[in-house]
Amino acid sequence: MKGQKGINAEWRPSPGLHWFAIAVACCTVVLLIVGALVTSNEAGDSVPDWPLSFGRWLIESDNFVANVRYEYSHRFIAGVVGVLTFGLALSALFVEKRSWVRRLAWIAFAGVIAQAMIGGVRVLLGESSKPFIAVPHALVAQSFFGALVCLAVFTSRSWAARRETVREQQSPRLRTLSAIAVAAVLIQLVLGAGYRHQALGIMPHIIGAITVTVLVTWTAVTVLRRYSGDRFLTRPAIGSLIFLVIQLGLGVSAYLARVAAHGQPQPLEPMITLTVAHVVVGALTLAQLLVLTLRCYRALQPAGERAEGIAKATALSSTRKATV
Amino acid sequence: MLKRLSLIFMLIALSATLLAACGKGDDDEPEEDEAPPKVKFQPKGNEGTISGVVKFDGPVPTPQRIDMSGDANCAAAPGAKTVDDVTVTDGKLANVYVYLKAPSLDRFSYDVPDANVLDQQGCRYTPRVLGLMVGQTLRVTNSDPTAHNVHPSPRQNTEWNKSQPPNAPPIEAKFNRPETLIPVKCNQHPWMKAHVGVLAHPYFAVTDNEGKYSIKDVPPGKYTLTAWHEKFGEQPMKDFEVKASESKTQDFSFGAKAAYAPTSLKVEPAFIVPSR
Repeated sequence: MKGQKGINAEWRPSPGLHWFAIAVACCTVVLLIVGALVTSNEAGDSVPDWPLSFGRWLIESDNFVANVRYEYSHRFIAGVVGVLTFGLALSALFVEKRSWVRRLAWIAFAGVIAQAMIGGVRVLLGESSKPFIAVPHALVAQSFFGALVCLAVFTSRSWAARRETVREQQSPRLRTLSAIAVAAVLIQLVLGAGYRHQALGIMPHIIGAITVTVLVTWTAVTVLRRYSGDRFLTRPAIGSLIFLVIQLGLGVSAYLARVAAHGQPQPLEPMITLTVAHVVVGALTLAQLLVLTLRCYRALQPAGERAEGIAKATALSSTRKATV
Repeated sequence: MLKRLSLIFMLIALSATLLAACGKGDDDEPEEDEAPPKVKFQPKGNEGTISGVVKFDGPVPTPQRIDMSGDANCAAAPGAKTVDDVTVTDGKLANVYVYLKAPSLDRFSYDVPDANVLDQQGCRYTPRVLGLMVGQTLRVTNSDPTAHNVHPSPRQNTEWNKSQPPNAPPIEAKFNRPETLIPVKCNQHPWMKAHVGVLAHPYFAVTDNEGKYSIKDVPPGKYTLTAWHEKFGEQPMKDFEVKASESKTQDFSFGAKAAYAPTSLKVEPAFIVPSR
């Protein structure tokens, strides 16, 4: 059963803004990789000052050795992402007609500024505060990345083109299920950060992994069963499943590599690469699931909501007739 | 919804700014103890000596390899590229920190010796274990052609983290509270680790390459004599008595069993509560 979703007929997607959002999101993935390299190499305190690095904005090449490579690259790329996000928010101000999308772009910019501040606090407060600062740092990082993914989705042509909505008659509702799965993945990413930064043990992360596996699989399989012909929904569902499988494999491998490396004098391969890949694929799983959730909200309409809408429309029509 | 999100992000940014503003800077001085001034210790001439050897039982663990390839200067430095945390020579264990504990020792103040030097050489700390008195200067030098950062992580004293480029003047610092032992590391070269023991009295020693130690001028009394090793933990010996003018010998023995137990299937605790 299909209905017509009311959208602003004057609104047209801006391909420039869309590709800009994708570019900033890709740069953020690079930033996440380098951030994970900082943690995995225990490089967080290798540059003791902040916001300057060894008293300078651009360090000398002699200083760019050992763990400083990771920490300084992280700061530098974070600066680039900050400037790009500001550019994205400014572009949205001029190009984007929907005020809520413009606001989201500025929220993303506020997020990257907050993230830089939290990173700075982590450097200045030192070792004892590490778990309490590093975990929020990881959470805001993933949330910021999520905001950029949302911007990319909202400015896409497929989002604009999708005007038909499908009435959801079966339970559980996919809009609710996918939103819960997103929340679970975000919590799981925080639990993972808690483990990496030694604020939590491994058990909460394992329990989180089981929960996420159940929720993501349930969501994706439900989409594939109910809407097998709708690529708008099935593509991110398949993507979520693929990333979930990779992520589980990486998680087990990274943990075993970490246990095997116990007592080593320094972080070594393959633990570093596996952990970094695990962090990044976690973010990509979140991105896929966010795309799926947003598209579910775009393309699906709960049965109750539609009935309510029809009742409102009928009431409005009756009022008009009475007035005439 | 978007308004709420904006508010949350603004609150995070504000909190982070405030925290950053209140963060510890390089100029922060450790807080002074507010305890009343202590009586200066006056030797009576009947002090004794404790000496001994720390042995190592069992097969000596193979030193772990260090990968210094991240810094060409470290990779080119002379010396073996292995960890020196367990240094055993002819069955004797080096770098064991041996010290006395007793309330009677804490009642007095003692002359503080000159600075003790911790050098960075070949991208390692030399010595690996170092004893200091409260208020004694720790002088950190850099003999390497590469930069290091010196980062002690104490629990009782103030944490600091300073960069030291090649040929830079020594970093000098003091610890104002007793603490056994403070880990020191270089975050640029994560294999570089040292430990500094800080006591309010001078009755401590670190074993040399022959496993020997000697604690001199010990006033007669009952103490807890403790031997500490970074891999093998502590061995406290309670009710250890030193009589007037006595030269007492006390050996210790550590083994590889506890520290090198297999960890391949170790289940880690579900929640780690930070001790601070």
